[in-house]
Amino acid sequence: MNVQQETPFKLIANCIPVKGAKRSSICDLHRGSIQLIPNDLYELIKNREGSSIIEIKKKYDHKYDTIIDEYFEFLIDHEFIFFTATPELFPKMSMNWYQPNTITNAIIDVGKQSDYNIYHALENLNELRCKHVEFRFFKKISLEEIKTIVEFLVDIKSSIISIDFTIPFDNDFEIETIQNFMSTNGRVSSFRYYGGHENKFISPIDNRRGYIIITDTIISNEKCCGIIDSSLFSVNISTFTESQKFNSCLNRKISIDANGHIKNCPSMMKSYGNITAINLNEVVEQKEFKKYWNISKDKINVCKDCEFRHVCTDCRAYIENPANIYSKPLKCGYDPYTNTWEDWSKNPLKSKAIEYYGLQE
Amino acid sequence: MILVIGDTNDITTNIAMEWIRHYTKNVKRINFSDYTPLDSLKITNQNCTTKIASIDTSEVEKIWHRRGSIRFLPITLRNANSSLYTYLKKEEDSLLKSLEDILGDTKEYIGSYHKEVENYKIDYLLKAKDCGIRIPDTLITTSKKELQSFFNTYDQIITKDIRYGIKIKAQDSGIYSGGTFVVSEDMITSMKKHFAPTLVQEKIEKKYEIRVFFFKTTLYPMAILSQNDSKTSVDYRNYNREKPNRNVPVLFPKHIEQQILNFIKRSGLSTGSIDLIVDKADDYIFLEVNPQGQLDWVSKHCNYYIEKNIAEYLVFK
Repeated sequence: MNVQQETPFKLIANCIPVKGAKRSSICDLHRGSIQLIPNDLYELIKNREGSSIIEIKKKYDHKYDTIIDEYFEFLIDHEFIFFTATPELFPKMSMNWYQPNTITNAIIDVGKQSDYNIYHALENLNELRCKHVEFRFFKKISLEEIKTIVEFLVDIKSSIISIDFTIPFDNDFEIETIQNFMSTNGRVSSFRYYGGHENKFISPIDNRRGYIIITDTIISNEKCCGIIDSSLFSVNISTFTESQKFNSCLNRKISIDANGHIKNCPSMMKSYGNITAINLNEVVEQKEFKKYWNISKDKINVCKDCEFRHVCTDCRAYIENPANIYSKPLKCGYDPYTNTWEDWSKNPLKSKAIEYYGLQE
Repeated sequence: MILVIGDTNDITTNIAMEWIRHYTKNVKRINFSDYTPLDSLKITNQNCTTKIASIDTSEVEKIWHRRGSIRFLPITLRNANSSLYTYLKKEEDSLLKSLEDILGDTKEYIGSYHKEVENYKIDYLLKAKDCGIRIPDTLITTSKKELQSFFNTYDQIITKDIRYGIKIKAQDSGIYSGGTFVVSEDMITSMKKHFAPTLVQEKIEKKYEIRVFFFKTTLYPMAILSQNDSKTSVDYRNYNREKPNRNVPVLFPKHIEQQILNFIKRSGLSTGSIDLIVDKADDYIFLEVNPQGQLDWVSKHCNYYIEKNIAEYLVFK
């Protein structure tokens, strides 16, 4: 696309600038990428969208023509803008987020000590019309056992459309067996093996779904969770709009920890009852269970000033100040006031909280 | 009761069903890829009753015909290569069309199998023109001479199918296309004096394309900004996967919106997708309409929640 000096520019409606404390981002929700921009450019877009470049240059008495040209070159390069004589015909995208189901995703943890009935839990999730389940096994599990779980979902015509398995690495592991298993069981979307000899990502075969991750990390309990990292950013309309008003991790989530306790997330302390004694839908009806759902990034300290806040995950289980539920996620090493990433576990200011949660190595 | 005719893997049917079920239990779904038993279509001198998959259709208030059709042919009979199947399908086709008319008489029937299979581009071009919407000059011909003279009249011309995307099976390969292509002088030169009926149109230099999904009288327009991409500058369906075209919500000027609503009324379509071009002079040019067109991408790119709105119409209106 060529620069048009005299035609008004318009931002692509699903490329959305987000202002941070020190710099801003443009979230390309269409192509799933994110670009960082200076706050000056953020202001220019916000205040001058619908004007032509000539008009903007004039507005600044031609003092910043070179910078303005550079800015537009960048915006055009990434196809964030287009030029149109009828900007009034291009509305903003709606920021609404809706979801028909009360529960959309669940985590089910299974350990050596677990004595609750997984199938009962899956039936409960089906009644709630849950869509995604993550199974985490903190003990050895055979493919046969996994097969039984997946076949059960087929039998009950479960609402669950995707299952991710996190399981310990086993030396019997064969890529082909697992890939074939996933291609014949459409619901299974991934396997993550922990405690392996290497770190490896294995893509799905023939454009199908179903990937495999092998990591050398040892995952022996739920304390592994809650990491905030740019590799976990999710740049799409659904996450971006949901995060406007809702929590980016816990909204519409339910979990069963290895002891059968029903929680918002297995890593959290609060249990709303045990699955052996109470059904999931009874828990979902409790008002208190849903109290975290509305904690959006705009309400969380530090996050509210972060340029990544609408593409990032959240964690309410491990936070910097355990006494303040609006405190920043503990396992986030990003500082939006300096734009630097550091290792969260080595930050002396976090040592108290790390100790509080028993996260020290 | 609400009856939805869709397909197992149709994402739009799936999303809309989630919403409908969120609002009511009183819904039944029929899938194109399944066998649906026709219990009875009974016509006596007193009345006409139908029972499909144990559903007494007198209990159905609204039907949303999203995609495909009901299929009454048992799966064991669907052997694509047999002439028996070709015959049985023809019989089934006429039954489906009658059934659609019968059901449409007594309940609200949104969407149509009949309109989908008889989606004739020429008819709709004429209807659009009658509503005052500009259309590309179009020629359908079997004559090289006529084609050459049409070609000489315009800067560039394109060709596309009259009704059916190209699907020709050969011994060891096949020719498939559903898109639009520019016609070159060389192509015409290489053609015989007479050929099968062929549709050509003037090529319009576009600013952008508009895909508008409509459900009843609600329009969901999306602009496809494809003008800078040589792959898609003729037809956005020739996708560019690395840098996909930008798709954004767009509005129609009031008088154009009225013309489109008039066209929808005149075409007798209760739902569908219309393709338009906005040319360099800001004129709106009608290309075609697809009664069962895809809407998932329009809904997602523009955050329109079309499926939710459809569900709310079916349940509450």
